[in-house]
Amino acid sequence: MAIDIQKVDEIVFGYEQSKESLLPILQDFQREFSYVPEEGIKRLSDIFGVPESRIYAMATFYKAFSLVPKGRHTIKVCMGTACHLKGAPFVVEAIERELKIKPGQTTEDRRFSLETVNCVGTCALAPVVVIDEDYYGGSTSENIIKNLKRYT
Amino acid sequence: MEKIKFVIDGKEVEAIRDQCVLDVARQNGIYIPGLCYNPEVKFSGGSCRLCLVEAHQAGRMSLVTACNYPIREGLEIKTDTSLVKRIRKGIIELLLARVPDSDVIKELAAEAGIDEPRFVKDEGENYHSKCIACGLCIQVCEEVVGVSAIAMLNRGPDKTPGTPYKKPSEVCIGCGACAYACPTDAIPMEDNGDTRKIWGREFKMHLCSVCGKPYIPEAQIDWIVKTTGKDRVFFDKCPDCR
Repeated sequence: MAIDIQKVDEIVFGYEQSKESLLPILQDFQREFSYVPEEGIKRLSDIFGVPESRIYAMATFYKAFSLVPKGRHTIKVCMGTACHLKGAPFVVEAIERELKIKPGQTTEDRRFSLETVNCVGTCALAPVVVIDEDYYGGSTSENIIKNLKRYT
Repeated sequence: MEKIKFVIDGKEVEAIRDQCVLDVARQNGIYIPGLCYNPEVKFSGGSCRLCLVEAHQAGRMSLVTACNYPIREGLEIKTDTSLVKRIRKGIIELLLARVPDSDVIKELAAEAGIDEPRFVKDEGENYHSKCIACGLCIQVCEEVVGVSAIAMLNRGPDKTPGTPYKKPSEVCIGCGACAYACPTDAIPMEDNGDTRKIWGREFKMHLCSVCGKPYIPEAQIDWIVKTTGKDRVFFDKCPDCR
């Protein structure tokens, strides 16, 4: 996928040229492109004079960064203790079957990315699925598929 | 440089303040094992943890890594107590579970009397080859070579040294310093006639004009000429024929 290099420059030159700026720049990449693109890392390395390997290592270290494009909507299935006991694994399985992706992957049409998370802090609603900013409590393998249809 | 005295295994020895325990121990003929320690790099990460020793100071004892523990006034080090031995054996067991194929670790395990680790071996999709992820290769590439072609990727159990995107590195000069420095011989480097293959990239080797032996990658000559301004003619002959 081609990346607008001008957009990359806009982000990079908006920061002071120091090591401390690397992380916020990567965060901006993630927000702007929904992932950290290879071209972005290369360009950043050229401008800042920081080895490409070091920036790439940072991008692989933090869970907040993705090196492949994310979908338009992110599905987070809570796998914390309460949700797990209340059947979260079945919910994940149902989503996997419906979208034909595994956790950590994105559908081919880039509509959804699927993730499992460890606790979203709303155990009373277990099992919880968070799609973008919406919380779906008491999810089952049936109602979650219906809820997915709201997102295009 | 302030000289101070401290005690190691009951022997009083002299050291420079803040020098690391491992260095002084080795200078005084006291053996402390260690894989990831290399005096060529500025700071030892203490990641293999084999050099654990007992540090007694101000009436307290703690287990510390000798490779990066600074020597201070009044310090007493014990390298061979039963506690140290027991903990070290556990560490070797963990290393053996991580890299069951490494000859270096197997040898250490045999010395410590371990046949099989009690822990689940990293096999199948968790296979790490022989790498213990100590990061020495990365430090050498950055500090000694000055190239930073590799870095520590991912984290947790997936932590592994590598090139960006696992693609052949554009900046690597093929010097092989990472492979030489690796304590467990985990970085594959193939020298084949006048080519060398490392980190997925093939390098053309420079031949000695006298004996005809391939002895240095062309890319490494370019790098040395570029960074030091040395005359290229110097590299016509290999170190043996100079």
